[in-house]
Amino acid sequence: MKLTRREFIKTNAIAAAATTAGMSIPGVALAATPQSQDGVRWDKGVCRYCGTGCGVLVGVKDGRVVATQGDPDAPVNKGLNCVKGYFLSKIMYGKDRLTRPLLRMKDGKFDKNGEFAPISWDAAFDIMAEKVKATLKEPTQGPYGVAMFGSGQWTVWEGYAAAKLMKAGFRSNSIDPNARHCMASAVAGFMRTFGIDEPMGCYDDAEHADVFALWGSNMAEMHPILWSRITNRRLTANHVKIHVLSTFSHRSCELADNELIFKPQSDLAILNYICNYIIQNNAVNQEFVKKNVGFFKGVTDIGYGLRPNHPLEQVAMNNGYPGADGKPKGDPNKHAPITFDEFAKFVSEYTLDKAHEISGVPKDKLEALAKAYADPKVKVTSYWTMGFNQHTRGTWVNNMIYNVHLLVGKISEPGNSPFSLTGQPSACGTAREVGTFAHRLPADLVVMNPKHREFAEKAWKLPAGTIPPTPGYHAVLQSRMLKDGKIGFYWTSTTNNMQAGPNINGEIYPGWRNPKAFVVVSDVYPTVSAMSADLILPCAMWMEKEGMFGNAERRGQMWRQQVKAPGESRSDLWQYMEFSKRFKVEEVWPADLLAKAPELKGKTLYDVLYANGQVNKFPKEDLAKVNAHAWAGYTNDESEAFGYYVQKGLFEEYAGFGRGHAHDLAPFETYHKVRGMRWPVVDGKETLWRFREGYDPYVKKGEGVKFYGYPDGKAKIFALPYQPAAEMPDKDYDLWLCTGRVLEHWHTGSMTRRAPELYKAFPDAVVWMHPKDAEKRGLKRNDVVKVSTRRGEIELRVDTKGRNKPPEGLIFIPFFDEHRLVNKLTLDATCPISKETDFKKCAAKVVKA
Amino acid sequence: MNISSAIIHALPGDVAVVQAGLAALAGVEVHAISPEGKLIVTIETDDDGSNVATYERIGQLDGVMSTAMVYHQTESEPDKEI
Repeated sequence: MKLTRREFIKTNAIAAAATTAGMSIPGVALAATPQSQDGVRWDKGVCRYCGTGCGVLVGVKDGRVVATQGDPDAPVNKGLNCVKGYFLSKIMYGKDRLTRPLLRMKDGKFDKNGEFAPISWDAAFDIMAEKVKATLKEPTQGPYGVAMFGSGQWTVWEGYAAAKLMKAGFRSNSIDPNARHCMASAVAGFMRTFGIDEPMGCYDDAEHADVFALWGSNMAEMHPILWSRITNRRLTANHVKIHVLSTFSHRSCELADNELIFKPQSDLAILNYICNYIIQNNAVNQEFVKKNVGFFKGVTDIGYGLRPNHPLEQVAMNNGYPGADGKPKGDPNKHAPITFDEFAKFVSEYTLDKAHEISGVPKDKLEALAKAYADPKVKVTSYWTMGFNQHTRGTWVNNMIYNVHLLVGKISEPGNSPFSLTGQPSACGTAREVGTFAHRLPADLVVMNPKHREFAEKAWKLPAGTIPPTPGYHAVLQSRMLKDGKIGFYWTSTTNNMQAGPNINGEIYPGWRNPKAFVVVSDVYPTVSAMSADLILPCAMWMEKEGMFGNAERRGQMWRQQVKAPGESRSDLWQYMEFSKRFKVEEVWPADLLAKAPELKGKTLYDVLYANGQVNKFPKEDLAKVNAHAWAGYTNDESEAFGYYVQKGLFEEYAGFGRGHAHDLAPFETYHKVRGMRWPVVDGKETLWRFREGYDPYVKKGEGVKFYGYPDGKAKIFALPYQPAAEMPDKDYDLWLCTGRVLEHWHTGSMTRRAPELYKAFPDAVVWMHPKDAEKRGLKRNDVVKVSTRRGEIELRVDTKGRNKPPEGLIFIPFFDEHRLVNKLTLDATCPISKETDFKKCAAKVVKA
Repeated sequence: MNISSAIIHALPGDVAVVQAGLAALAGVEVHAISPEGKLIVTIETDDDGSNVATYERIGQLDGVMSTAMVYHQTESEPDKEI
């Protein structure tokens, strides 16, 4: 029988859907993986977008990715795709891919006000090296003035190579990932409550919970595949209930049994009310609390992470900023032990009446939620995303959701799970586990701890004292330091801070265009950031390089390089390693440090950091051996360039940090075969629920539950109050402005806006507002309006219907649209502990344009 | 052209209504229905934008609880024989 290509593809499509749904269709052959007929080569991959980490099968024909399919063997998504993942095959093929390095030039020379012109990689690295060396020597800048802004979309080895280059090579801790904008508060929350990062539970909780509570998370749009698992649970088990907490009504509310729309910032009061309810109704799991929990009271006068001269910071006595005497004013992270009774007394003022008054949520809805947490027979899984994390009390609110779960002992077992979702594919794997933050090293180690530095220096075969002891500039501080002229060389990659960062007009743009700074952007498309840079480097992306991502449930996943990058584009990994050859150790290290390791004299940073006998240990032949099960003769571009299996070498050195320290990764070869594994992986077995005997190999027999992140094996419950936001609506700016995302676009849209289907589905950002708010301002749906704050203004169309339904007094604008930059409006206030920006709350006004 | 497949989850009592709604959409074909209310459909479109638009319309049909996409392929010569 002859088949047209259309019929053939359709049969594959039907078979894939039927396999995923567990259905059989007469006449359609079901295959777990698509057939390799038709000249298409299929291999496993990982989705490029969010932190869910869906497995996708990638189909390559004639050196081009032509098809993708949800991977039926991937435990995360079991064959499903969301609309973004559906069109993954298009993201590499936008018409405006960058393919050559571009430098701003005038009369054949670099000029900050010149026009972009193509140059060679050699010339690009020449000027970069010149600028780095000048910055290191400049007394007002120095090593920390060499700064890097990276990404939770970096592959694991890219982040690792970058962190090494910065912290050990240039001896600057001024490297931070965009994950600072995304889940730094989740990290600080984990570290404060448990002393170890990342969720104890996993996605399997979705099939075990009786109740789901969403706190500041619109999973239906932002984590659609996990949402489909929850939907399935809700529709197949009649007793299951869903509570959705948000400052506006959205698509996730459509499935909610209890929708709680609260006033911005009042989540703090609701969480304390739930604790109070649990205590007042004798629902505390006494045995669990006595054995596993300690109680603490945190300092409260911590400011809002604004510039030190802001009035709110001048009155804050525990923001850690220098005071009049030059010494730091307290420490926002400080906390002291209290008793259970003291905690009970602290939360006792958060009565139902008070919680209702602060939040505006009807009392019966608040009580229904509290009851679900309190009922010992009900398994509760809480999910949260940016509503919690992008919060000037983001660390607190993370601590406070754990308070609730810990009081009732609903944690670390199937279905009982406080679960922090992530927004980027490797925010966990690369930003957190590799430690690409300004204060971190791999496997939860930190630069402030001398023992941790010593461990890292030994692992890297470097002399003692190589890694500097103070945290570098974090994301928001980088923008301020650029503006203040303290950063002389700035390199960003795989992120788009000129669109995604807060207060573009006030801080970021003036910082990047400061003549004292040289700004390099590595990217694949001419983003707003790339166009604001001095030098643009063209990158390889996704399937154009071998990679590893780590998702939100601690699952590490790898893929092989499937296709070549276009033109002269190179991976970030190649860029960092190749650039390191431009520096002799003598040029970047002080003489006294080099004197401790005279054998390194005359070597380049490449020799010291990468050709160190560890990273370059595995010969090129290993590529074909490790990947023989996938296809014969496999290789990748970095290994061809440097002459050894670069990814394996970096992985093995990195994995040495976590093995035996509760962050054990599986063997490199295993990841290239399986659909990911959740760490710690001990004796070939992954860990689904941490801290509980029987699931977690680090909890010994007879210990039951052990929160081993802290030496006493206990987690911390924190007494913390409700406090107002940094900026609230007033008579001049009378609306709350909340920013976020939509289903069709991922973050700043640099990829999804180039998939024609997704662009057409949602071309321009709109401002959603309540019909009465529109009416009061004489506005109709689709009118063009001007939205302004104290920092800037943008024009866009108003929507009063559709998927988002804000209450009166609040507007919502997504940030994907580069032509309507909502971050010109946002305030750069952060959580003073996590340094993560609150993108969800500032004061705005709307008038007809 | 774009050829893709999706799984639609309807409440079992609403399957007939959903089927009628799907029949009215151009390029959409139903290939199987399970007793629990799952439908397997394919979507064929020529224009890039209409694929998502069709998908969006499916999501808005009465009785549809969730939709999930599975497979997508672009084909420039759909009528060529293999």
